[in-house]
Amino acid sequence: MSPVRVILIVCLALAPCVWFVTAGRQVAAQQTGDNDTMQVTSDTPEYCQYLHTRVDSQVHLASTPPPREVTDLSAEGERMCEHGQTRGGIMRLRRALWLLMHEDGGATLER
Amino acid sequence: MTDRGLFRSAGFRFGAIYALLLGLSATALALFLWWATAGLLDRQTEEAINADAQGLSERWAEGGLPALIVTIEDRLAQNVDDDAIYFLADRAMHRVAGNLERWPPNVNTAGGLYELQVMRAGIKSLANVQRFDLPGGFHLLIGRDVQVRAQLRGLLTDALLWAILVVGLMATIGALVVRNLFRRTLANISATTSAIASGDLAKRVRLTGRGDEFDQVAEVINDMLERITRLMDGVRQVSNAIAHDLRTPITRARTRLEDAAIHAQTPDDLRAAIERATVDLDGIVGVFQALLRISEIEAGTRRSAFARVDIAPMLIEIEELYGLLAEEQGISLAVVAAPEVPAYGDKALIHQAIANLVDNAVKFSPPGGTVRVTASTRGKVDITVTDEGPGIPASERARATERFYRGESARSTPGSGLGLSLVAAVANLHGGELRLEDNNPGLRAILVLPNPEDPDPRAAALQAKHDFI
Repeated sequence: MSPVRVILIVCLALAPCVWFVTAGRQVAAQQTGDNDTMQVTSDTPEYCQYLHTRVDSQVHLASTPPPREVTDLSAEGERMCEHGQTRGGIMRLRRALWLLMHEDGGATLER
Repeated sequence: MTDRGLFRSAGFRFGAIYALLLGLSATALALFLWWATAGLLDRQTEEAINADAQGLSERWAEGGLPALIVTIEDRLAQNVDDDAIYFLADRAMHRVAGNLERWPPNVNTAGGLYELQVMRAGIKSLANVQRFDLPGGFHLLIGRDVQVRAQLRGLLTDALLWAILVVGLMATIGALVVRNLFRRTLANISATTSAIASGDLAKRVRLTGRGDEFDQVAEVINDMLERITRLMDGVRQVSNAIAHDLRTPITRARTRLEDAAIHAQTPDDLRAAIERATVDLDGIVGVFQALLRISEIEAGTRRSAFARVDIAPMLIEIEELYGLLAEEQGISLAVVAAPEVPAYGDKALIHQAIANLVDNAVKFSPPGGTVRVTASTRGKVDITVTDEGPGIPASERARATERFYRGESARSTPGSGLGLSLVAAVANLHGGELRLEDNNPGLRAILVLPNPEDPDPRAAALQAKHDFI
């Protein structure tokens, strides 16, 4: 058996196996039905509004004016949520709230 | 080579072993890398969930349900990584707090990680969640969005799989290279030995000059072939010598008997002719016996009879045996030795070897000369026999121990040319040597035997085996 034939056989045997394995995993991932998918409720415009309200409340409760970064993040987050970029807006509002909570000595909102 | 013969080929096996080892090594490395990277991601997720659960359980213990709800909402509100998933359900599995729309139906058991498909702002994602059962019939689900990690893990897995393919290809190519190297190296040896088997004894295995294991094998084979060639030349020479040297006495005996049959007048004449022929035939028998003895010695079978011996009594016996003969020829025979000369070997063979040397010395010594026999044990055992005869020229000494060889100075004296061959064979058998030197005048023959405290290792091993048996 010539060396070239051996190499070709190995390539023809191994390559499809690897392709099937990698492609198969992608297909399996895409084939999951919608019935099994859970909706995450913290990615909605309503939640965005909720976060904006909390940021404002925290700002009013703070003893000192908030850092510029907080106000910028809050405004940007609200603007993004209004324009449909919900997840991006929520991330910025969360960041603003986190800065406020830790700026304030880690004070937790007790209700 | 046919496909079936391919699998029997040693070169193919070497190549296959190389490919298998490379493949296994690469697979082990890939599995380790996968565990270290993708596996690490999974372990980090699990640790984060457990740490989260620990914190929440402390809040539950401190403040009960209200505190837990507040903590969940705070954590969600401050989840800057945007990956936290919580769901607090009551006994009826209704939502109390958290950011999932409902309890996942397939999450039935506490303790293990579940993979969950989630929808985030219209985009599908993947989460790992774990169930915790709380007192009062409450159930808590804690999880993390692992979509990015899953994508990274997928990329890693694909890369490693393709890498294994490349390694498989490299292993195959490497195996072919190893096999061809192996075959090319052995082809040289195989071609040479085939030529030798066909009768061309002049062929030798070619050395590459690298000094590696294949060159060492080639050198050993070439040494073996040299020895075989020398032995075959020796056999040829002995056969020729036997034919030449024995033809004369056989012819002489036949001629005498034929002459007696034609010309003998009386029974006494006939008897005398028969006796002369008998003497000739006895000489021929003696030559054959000597040849057989030399062959037996060279075969090494006598090593099993090796034991500690004392040379001194042998020298006294030989002095008594040859003293009278020497005296009749006007030769002085002197033996000088310590009272005890220990050695290790076959007593009969050593006795015969010394006797042959003394016999030669007495035969070739002129009247009035002295034959001296000495034995010393300075490290090795040296038995030296010197004479004052014609000696052996330096140019002939190398051949003097060949069978049937007779030097120019020995052609006029009786003998078969086997005496020194036997002495040399005895010396080799004992791991010693026979040295021939110029005694100026005459010959100095030194039979060297190993130190009895450190005998020939071959002989010792055989003796040990003999004792064990």
